[in-house]
Amino acid sequence: MTDGSQGAPAQGAPSVSAPGILTFIIADVTIFGVLFVAFMVERSHQVPLFNQSSSSLDVRLGLLNTLVLMTSGLFVVLAVLAAGQGRASVTRQWLLASFVVGAGFGINKLIEYGDKFAHGINLLTNDFFMFYFVLTGVHFVHFLAGMVVLALLWFRTRGEAVDGPLFGWIESGALYWHMVDLLWIVIFPMLYLLGSR
Amino acid sequence: MNAAVSNTSYFKYWRACAAMGPIFLAAFILCWGVLGYNIPPIPADFTAEQMAQHFRTHANEVRAGMAGAMLFGILYLPWTLSITKVMEKIETDGNHIMSILQMWGGGVTVVPLVTSSVFWLAGSYRPEALDPVILQLLYDMGWLLIDMFYAITTVAMVALGVCGLADKREKALFPRWMCWYTIWAGLSFLFELLMPFFKSGMFARQGWLNFWVEFIVWFAYILLTTYYVFKAIPRLEQERAAELSLVEQTGKLGAKPLQGNPEGRLANA
Repeated sequence: MTDGSQGAPAQGAPSVSAPGILTFIIADVTIFGVLFVAFMVERSHQVPLFNQSSSSLDVRLGLLNTLVLMTSGLFVVLAVLAAGQGRASVTRQWLLASFVVGAGFGINKLIEYGDKFAHGINLLTNDFFMFYFVLTGVHFVHFLAGMVVLALLWFRTRGEAVDGPLFGWIESGALYWHMVDLLWIVIFPMLYLLGSR
Repeated sequence: MNAAVSNTSYFKYWRACAAMGPIFLAAFILCWGVLGYNIPPIPADFTAEQMAQHFRTHANEVRAGMAGAMLFGILYLPWTLSITKVMEKIETDGNHIMSILQMWGGGVTVVPLVTSSVFWLAGSYRPEALDPVILQLLYDMGWLLIDMFYAITTVAMVALGVCGLADKREKALFPRWMCWYTIWAGLSFLFELLMPFFKSGMFARQGWLNFWVEFIVWFAYILLTTYYVFKAIPRLEQERAAELSLVEQTGKLGAKPLQGNPEGRLANA
């Protein structure tokens, strides 16, 4: 596998090689995929418990978080497009917008965790909440890493050409952020919607 | 660059150190895993009586296995050093932070490998005289140490990945995908954080995720890295030979950098 994150594309031209970060993403998505299968298998053994537990989650918060992440993901796409055209200030604006909107996910999640802990619900409450805390917790760690990546890209684009070697890093960061989106798009219906109503 | 040192001398022990990785892996699987009954681990939800039965029945195998694990576990150190030497040739600006981090992270990884074996060895030393609960505690301590000290190995793996990604050669010494794999593999050990909370299921020490997946990921990292270290060494020998030849021709340091050597690797060789 070659890497687009090092070789700078020509001015405005898209990178044609798959960034090496795809290895990271494929491995990560595979692990999550296996966890999703484990959740479904466990759920099939304890359907009433999983349904009852799921109904205690706040679907509105989950839906809000889905919209937040998808909007943030859209802004990252716009940042990559702007970077491909060499428009540094526009790239920075979209990166900042993606970061600010994305931060809403973190705030929502902390509110949700706080509510669960306040009601005495934790990792060991039952198998559903074990999966709930593990899946959303590991996803939250990925989210935090993504926020750090967005911030780093924002700082680096301050004094560096966005269509040079940095373009590969912007593209890789965007791919990672989309992975965070994608995982949440599976986690949300699985935990919040499946059999909850 | 010390032009008086020939390539043969300069790279003398590199391959030997790199070869220690697979030797460590094979010996560790045999001693720690098979003889020591750690592949797979004895389940965390076993009773103290069951654990005592295990130690009393298999005392000699566990003694031999752990003695071997403590001996061969040390080989992780020279193997780590072979990676460090290659990484130093990537960090050509004199900033060897990642190389040093990798060396310390990999070197200190020997500590949990060896010291956790002591607990299992202690359990097998006089199992008939110890209470079952004590034997259970010793087995638990071994696993808690080797699993929960993962972060030091993560440091080495992430440092290798970050350093490899910064390689400015047209064809990097460590492929980008491998660098990302090592970063991912190191971070994937974070699942071990859940291990103390569970005695059964995927996150327990014998669980499919925290045992089978994580250990296979680590073993694959060892083999993969060894392969690319062996591929990197001849390339580095060629690079240095070219630099030696250049020094010979010009008779001075700081000559015009070689093609494909824009960072002036000459001065750091």
